[in-house]
Formats: sequence, structure tokens, C-alpha cells
Amino acid sequence: MTLTGLAVRNLGRNKFRVVLTVAGVAIAIIAFLLLRTVIWAWAAGAEYAAKDRVVTRHKVTFIMSLPKRYVEDVRSAPHIRLATWANWFGGKDAKHENEFFSTLAVDPESYFVVYDEMKVPPDQLETWKHDKQGAIVGDVLARKMGWKVGDKIILQSGIFAGDWQFNVDSVYEATAKSVDRSTLVFHWDYLNDSLPQRRKDQVGWIVSRVDNPAQVADVGVSLDKLFDERETPTLSQDERSFNASFLAMFSSILKAMDIVSAVILVIMTLILGNTIAMGARERTGEYGVLRAIGFLPGHVAMWVVAESLVMGLMGGVVGVGLAWPFINFGVGRFVEENMGGFFPYFRLEVPNMLLGLGLAALLGAAASAVPAWRASKLNVVDSVRRVA
Amino acid sequence: MIPIRYNVRSLAVRKATTVATAGGIALVVFVLASSLMLSAGIKKTMGSSGRADNAIVLRMGSDAELGSVVDESSVPLILAAPGVKKDERGQPIGSAEIVVVGAMDKLGTTGVTNVSIRGVGDEVMRFRPEIRVVSGRPPKPGTDEAMVGARIRGRIKGLDLDQTFDIKKNRPVKVVGIFEADGEAYESEVWVDRELLRQAYGREGVESSVRVRLDSASKFDAFRAGVENDKRLGLMALRESAFYEKQSEGAALFVGVLGTVVSIFFAVGAMIGAMITMYAAVANRQREIGTLRALGFSRRSILASFLFEAVFLAAVGGAIGAAASMGMGLVRFSMINFASWSEIVFSFDPTLRVIATALIFACGMGLLGGLFPAVRAARTSPLKAIRG
Repeated sequence: MTLTGLAVRNLGRNKFRVVLTVAGVAIAIIAFLLLRTVIWAWAAGAEYAAKDRVVTRHKVTFIMSLPKRYVEDVRSAPHIRLATWANWFGGKDAKHENEFFSTLAVDPESYFVVYDEMKVPPDQLETWKHDKQGAIVGDVLARKMGWKVGDKIILQSGIFAGDWQFNVDSVYEATAKSVDRSTLVFHWDYLNDSLPQRRKDQVGWIVSRVDNPAQVADVGVSLDKLFDERETPTLSQDERSFNASFLAMFSSILKAMDIVSAVILVIMTLILGNTIAMGARERTGEYGVLRAIGFLPGHVAMWVVAESLVMGLMGGVVGVGLAWPFINFGVGRFVEENMGGFFPYFRLEVPNMLLGLGLAALLGAAASAVPAWRASKLNVVDSVRRVA
Repeated sequence: MIPIRYNVRSLAVRKATTVATAGGIALVVFVLASSLMLSAGIKKTMGSSGRADNAIVLRMGSDAELGSVVDESSVPLILAAPGVKKDERGQPIGSAEIVVVGAMDKLGTTGVTNVSIRGVGDEVMRFRPEIRVVSGRPPKPGTDEAMVGARIRGRIKGLDLDQTFDIKKNRPVKVVGIFEADGEAYESEVWVDRELLRQAYGREGVESSVRVRLDSASKFDAFRAGVENDKRLGLMALRESAFYEKQSEGAALFVGVLGTVVSIFFAVGAMIGAMITMYAAVANRQREIGTLRALGFSRRSILASFLFEAVFLAAVGGAIGAAASMGMGLVRFSMINFASWSEIVFSFDPTLRVIATALIFACGMGLLGGLFPAVRAARTSPLKAIRG
């Protein structure tokens, strides 16, 4: 029997306790991974943002818009390849009062060129371009609301009065993880033509693509400089910073989740440490005998650490094994359908799984530090004499 | 009955295990109590913000003041509606306000956040006597001066006494006062002159909302009928208390769901921890249990004794966790309110109910974790146990 073999065999001595401990570690790992996935999915919008896109909006507030002629100014600025615009419509379906989804009035010619990670079948895209009341909806939204291509739907708006009728012309799909699959887009002209003169020809924000992603920040700065002399100053950010600044609004929640996930790990370490300490105490006599026949303090410490490490790892494997279907087929589906605006992609990713496994093993080893140190410091004569 | 001292001393003998188990339960209770306190804090802030004998008038279909537009010409009609309370000079008590959000730099983290800015007229102080300026002085009407709510003060760049922020390009506004409002949501807002905001945000001829005091809470239906019957106005009236309750729904639900899910995982983990500890306690004390049985203690009193020990252990942990969570009462938690898209600062509200819930929860974990080990202890055969 090898030294490691002995440590592993020790696990079999109190099977029930090991099962309970592994279950405790697994539960902690599942909770930890769930929280990590929330944090990760929240940040995914910034992580997977297009590197060559710049968003230009009103400098002071998101509730005010920019003059439409700014679009042409952006288009003729240096390094800009493409530009489009959109207005927030704030639509909701009277039949589904509590379902939140984004509704945007967009430029039909350029919107899907700038957002080329939103895929629309070409023939349906053509139909939509010629249908002023046409709308294109995300696949998740279409499934949730039961909308099919060809349906006529009526929406109200939190901003613009009245009933708005749309024809569902197409359903878009996403080819990037940052795309919200619950958005409805429709013709900007449809909105603009029905507004009073005072509110006409305004755009919510302008999105452009630059020819060199490395210069994206400089392009933003020069756009803002261009408009700074005009009546409406702007704030331009690359898409990553734009999404990141959105995250900053939720920084307290993210910090709280970070703290809670650390607390989970501490509890897990306490459970593991407790089990290991109990096992080591029960075996005080044996360790005395082993020391007496010539094994070194380091050997004893190694057995204790190895046993804990293996237990932690077992808990980690079970935890990750259960968390994967739980998140990817249970919670994740639900979240993507109901909170797609925040979490367009809510899945347990490989790096997080590895993190869970690694932490389980590492904390397993850490939990055994005190018992291992104590066991190695045992006085041989005392421990052999002691009755457990 | 086996003396309680026996259990307490048994716990004291196994110090490390007792500390680990109680520590785990303390952490669980701490997190549970904190999330309950935050939920209570959100409800308190939003709940106290509305009075049942106040009504708020918004554009039909708007969920929040932000998207609402009320024509200036409708204001006298609203104030003249049935049920509106008059002051000693016979003037209706009400307040027409403009609400916008401004993007401002958050201190202590990178990124901007949205701050609610409320434009008010002279009549607001009569409508809201609970507003108290606690430092500085109230802004002079008709000037570029502002007062800032006590909760948001110092969290945002420019929002502190004698500092300035830009409400529009080259239009700095000076903060001359800090106000408190009995913990209401207004404490997270910036208040400026209504006409200043009207110019800066292009709100000529319109207000966001109109609030009125009613003769009594029961007059609401008459008032509502008066406002809503004139379909041309396109307005709706809500009880102010109901309005704020709806505003807090999203945030309270979010914290509640997250807190509950995390607590359930934590509870299972801590229960397993207690179970491991109690099984080990029973196994180590076989001989003692056998002796107690031989002395004539019944199975039932052995069961009760070990159950008590488990509950006591959990209660100690729970008390430590609950005591520590009281410290959270000093922490301020800011998050985006989903209804108004602006930052709102909540406190953790340590109510008696929260503490009681957390302690009952801890005892429940002890009871469940200790049940099976206690049953095993009670089933011990005295003869076998003493023989070893």
C-alpha cells in the first residue's frame, strides 16, 4: 500500500460521514456556480461587445434625444464606416402587462448592417423594408409571446400615446452571446411621422462602426468634439464601455453577490474542516502507532491533507456535475426567456466549472491545515496512550 | 430528564467542532438576515413614500413619472377635481412636477449612473411638510440652485454642499442645501426649480405629474372619476401609496428571489454541517449514552437531550449571526430602481420580525440536522454500548 493509497482508504472508514460531507461541499459549489454565472452573464454584455462599434448619445441624459441630422454628420466623420440610429419606444403588450422587452424604432436600411450579429432571412428582410408597419422580433420574444411571422400585433407605449399596430414580418436569431433575443424593432418613419412637429426628427442614439477597432476610443472623442460646439453635446463610448457603464449602475448588487459567494466558500471550508478534524481526532491512537514505527510528522500531515483534498475534489465533481444540467437546462432557460434584457446568455461556462473544481480542491486542502498541523505535532507517547 | 449542563459541557469539550458548526450556521443566518433586512428596507423606503390620502396624476399608460407628460393646461382642471383638499386660503393643495434623470459620475467606482432630478415649484413645501433642510438652506425660487437628498449626497460627483453639477451645457447648478424626507424615496433625488428644468430639458408647456392632497383617503374614487372621465385629457389617477408600491415591485422581487434561492442552498449546507457534527457526537459518546441508559434514563429523554444539544448549537450560531447582521443597519445599499431607471439608496432595516425569522430558521436547521443522529442515540442498546 502506498502512502496516498492509505489516505484514500481512510475515506472508506466512515462512509456515511464522507457522503454527508461530499453532499455539503456539492451544495456549496452549486450555489457558488449559480452566483458566478449571474455575475458572469451580467458582464457578458461588455465581454462580447463588438470592438468596432461606437454609441453616441445625449451627454446629459438618456431621456433626451439628438437631432436626426447628427446621423449625416457622423457618417461623414473620418474613420466611420457605417452608422445607424434608434429610438427607445418603451412598448408593451396590454395582454402581457408584466412582460418587459425592448422595443426600438430603427432605420430599416442600415440597422441590420450595423448589427450584423442579428440574423434575419434576406427575403423577409426585403419584405420588412417595404412594410412601414412591419416589425422584426427576437426568437426568444416570439416564442414567449406566441407571435408568428404574418401576425398583426398591437402595442402600447410608456412614452408615446395611443395604440400602435405592427405586422410581424420576421424573427431574428443571434450569432453572438451579447445579443438580446427579446427585442422588437420597427420602422423609425412609422414613429416619426405620427409625432407632433415639435418632437419630430429626433433620434435616441447613433451607433456607428469604425474602420480600425484600435482607434475606437479616439473616434468617440473626435465625434464628441465635433458636437460640443452645437446646441446638443454628445457622449460617445465604444460598445464595451457603454455596456460596462450600464453595469456600474448595478455595482452594489454585483459586489453583494461577490461577498455572498465568498461566504459560501467559507461555509464549505468549515464543513470540510469539521469532518477532517473529527476524523483526525478519532485516529489519534493510530497516528501515534504510525509515528512510533518510524513515519515522520510530515507523513501524518500528508495523510490528513490528502484525505481532505480528495473529499473536496469529490464534492467539486458532484457539485459541478449537478450544477451543469441545473443551470443550463433549468434556471438558464427560464432566465433567458424572462430576463433576456439583462441576461441574453445565461449558461454555465467551462472556465467557471474549472474554477468550481479548483476551488473545491484548494479549499479542501486549506480546510485540513489546522487538523494536519495538530496531528503532525502529536507527542507519540501521549497519543498512543490516549483513549479516543 | 438529562440535565442541560451535560449538553452544554459536551459542546465545550469539542471546541473546534462546536466553533466550526456554530460558525457555519452564524454565516448562513447573517446572509439570510441581511437579505431580509434589505427587502424590508426597500419596502419601508417605497412604502413610506406614498400617502393613501394623496393622489398622483400621470399620462394614461405611463408606469412612471419619467415617461409621463401632462399638459400644463390640464393642471388647473386636476386641481379643481372633486375631493381635492383646500388650505385655509381656499387654495387646492397639490404640486405639479417635472421629473427627469441625469447621467452623473458615480464616486468610488468607474462609470456613470442615472440620478432623478425633480423640478418643483413654490407650492411643494406646503404639499410635503415632511421635507426638512438639514444643512445649508433651501434653494431660492427662480435661481440655478439645487438641494440634494441626504441619501444620495456624497455618492455622486458634484452632489454635495457647495459643489456644482451641469444640468445642461455651460449651465452649472449649485447645491445649496441637503434635505431629509423621513426616509422617503425623495432622499435619493436632486430638487431644482421647475422652470430651470423646463428650459434645460425642453419641457415647455408640460409637466411630468401632478399630485394632490385629498380631503380624505375615501375621496379617491370621486377624484379619479373626475380626472379620468374627461377622455380628451388622456390622464389617469393613482393613489400615491399604490403608485410607490408598484414602483418598488421590481427591486423588491429581485432581492427577494435572489435572497431566497441563496438562503435555501445555505440552509441545506448548514443542516448537513450540523448533521455531521451531531452524528460524530453520538458516535463518540456511545459509552456515555449506554451508561445513561443503564442508569435508567429513557430512550425518550436521550432523544430529547441530543435534539436539545443540536438546537442549542444552532441557536448559539444563529444568535451570533443575527447580532452581526444588526451591524448592516449602518450600511447603505444603492441600486437602480427598475421602474424609474435611476439610482435609489436603500438601508438595511433590522426589524424584530427579521431577527425572529432568522433565529427560528437557525433552530429549524439544528432540529432537522439533529433529528436523525438523536434517533440513533436513542436506539443505542445499553449493553452493547458499555461493552464497546
